[in-house]
Amino acid sequence: VSVMSDVLSEASEGSGDDSQELMTPAELIEKLEEAWLNEKFSPELLENKSEIVECVMEQLTHMEENLQRVKKGDLKASIHRMEIDRIRYVLSSYLRSRLQKIEKYFPHVLKKEKSRADGDPSYLSPEEFAFAKEYMANTETYLKNVALRHMPPNLQTVDFAKCVPEPSLDSFVFLRVKVQQENILVEPETDDQSEYAVDLEVGSQHLMRYRTIAPLVSNGAVQLI
Amino acid sequence: MDPSEVEFLAEKEMVTIIPNFSLDKVYLIGGDLGPFNPGLPVDVPVWLAINLKQRQKCRIVPPDWMDVEKLEEIREQERKVGMFTPMPSPYYMELTKLLLNHASDNIPKADEIRTLVKDTWDTRIAKLRLSADSFVSQQEAHAKLDNLTLMEINTIRQLFLESLNHMYKLRTNMQPGKDSAKSQDF
Amino acid sequence: MFGEKAIELVRELDRIGDGQLPAFNEDGIRQVLEEMKALYEQNQSDVNEAKSEGASELIPTIKFRHCCLLRNQRCIAAYLYDRLLRVRALRWEYGSVLPTSVRFHMSAEELEWFNQYKKSLATYMRSLGGEEGLDITQDMKPPKSLYIEVRCVKDHGEFEIDDGTIILLKKNSQHFLPRWKCEHLIRQGVLEHVLS
Repeated sequence: VSVMSDVLSEASEGSGDDSQELMTPAELIEKLEEAWLNEKFSPELLENKSEIVECVMEQLTHMEENLQRVKKGDLKASIHRMEIDRIRYVLSSYLRSRLQKIEKYFPHVLKKEKSRADGDPSYLSPEEFAFAKEYMANTETYLKNVALRHMPPNLQTVDFAKCVPEPSLDSFVFLRVKVQQENILVEPETDDQSEYAVDLEVGSQHLMRYRTIAPLVSNGAVQLI
Repeated sequence: MDPSEVEFLAEKEMVTIIPNFSLDKVYLIGGDLGPFNPGLPVDVPVWLAINLKQRQKCRIVPPDWMDVEKLEEIREQERKVGMFTPMPSPYYMELTKLLLNHASDNIPKADEIRTLVKDTWDTRIAKLRLSADSFVSQQEAHAKLDNLTLMEINTIRQLFLESLNHMYKLRTNMQPGKDSAKSQDF
Repeated sequence: MFGEKAIELVRELDRIGDGQLPAFNEDGIRQVLEEMKALYEQNQSDVNEAKSEGASELIPTIKFRHCCLLRNQRCIAAYLYDRLLRVRALRWEYGSVLPTSVRFHMSAEELEWFNQYKKSLATYMRSLGGEEGLDITQDMKPPKSLYIEVRCVKDHGEFEIDDGTIILLKKNSQHFLPRWKCEHLIRQGVLEHVLS
């Protein structure tokens, strides 16, 4: 466990302001579950959490290795195994959510990643980036071969960014508040309504449009549920 | 979210068990459990409690709120008031189901408990359907749902969010000059 | 009417339920492509005529044909892409080796897309760390307790589990046993899984 603490503090060293924070394994799993729920309920792809993924993978691998050496059927081993299965489920589900969105919105996801500035947070991990590029190339090649090259000269390309819909940031989401927020503007639904402000108290739960609270998801002030 | 996933989250809640075996501390990634000694109460997550119960290695102690009188009060309160009353556990429905399915022999008046919880659930869901209808038809932009549990939210999630998003699409497509990239040119 | 064949392609997929892959409509695609060729050639000649003879009354027709061309392109792209999504779903449902019955309706190019896709996915999964990465196409449902309820179908005598506990597997007795230990006994027909 102390080895893991070292690894975790190393991992968080690169992330700027929380470089001195030590995360316990329990906190790591907590963070994974939060990321899982946020990604599941958010209409757009969220910032990638590679450090969390890497650390969790290390925990799982380490634990798996230990279990190989223990006699099968040992009570303690079975308890560890059950926990591993649970953590692995959350991790797999989280990564699946991300891949699904990457595939669904691939031209927009790629555009966003290619055009981000150096200091900006990354939405795709390097491996997800590679996957997204391959997905696009694969699909482009396919359409070209099967149809586009047989079409009139001025119609042999397809603008994916135009054809593939963008995520709907105006979707409604449910959320729970973790950090007090004041004066969050609620946009009116119809022309005869006017905008108004709400305060988000810690522990309260709300239903509202994603667009307004998107930055609060990024910075951890709210949790999507 | 699949109901099984809500149940998965509910299984993290802690519950007290009385083990019939000995085991020294278990250092799980998520925290330490035990040590376990026969006859001595210890707190474990529900997922483990149920597994140990299935292997006949423990008895489960029902949570304080899983009691006929308390639940009768809660049911009454829920029926009286128009709003949603706070529930004794954010996972009251799932925990009741899990514990009654696997450890009903450890829970006094299990059948009554089942009925009381179901009644309370039904009342709340009925209120929720009305609120949801009103939200959609009034074209509200925001709602506060403090006392709703995840399972309740999840039950109406799909239908509710789809109706809202669908109506939004209809509204924005009807407004001239709005930049709706989804509209068809041909 | 122009675009009829194209919209038929789209309707064909709409009619079939989600997830199913009907036979690849090569004929339909070919017909739409032919229509596009014809429209384009008519437009080419009209455009030349409009330019050389100033026949501006041809312009609406030219524009109309162009719209038809765009629509046909769009319908074909939609048809092909929707099928790709169904092919993609097959990887997640059946794994990287597709049963023949499922592969049956895929075109050669779709199979090639599928192979590229699964390679990409495999590379990604391997990169996730540990010895062999993480197979995220597994664990599709939250894990349930390792123990399952079984009924003994025939006498099997003593059976040791876990911490040395011995269980007597007598016909019609019911037990909670670790899943991994029962599986082969279930396959052998000694136990049957009781689903509550």
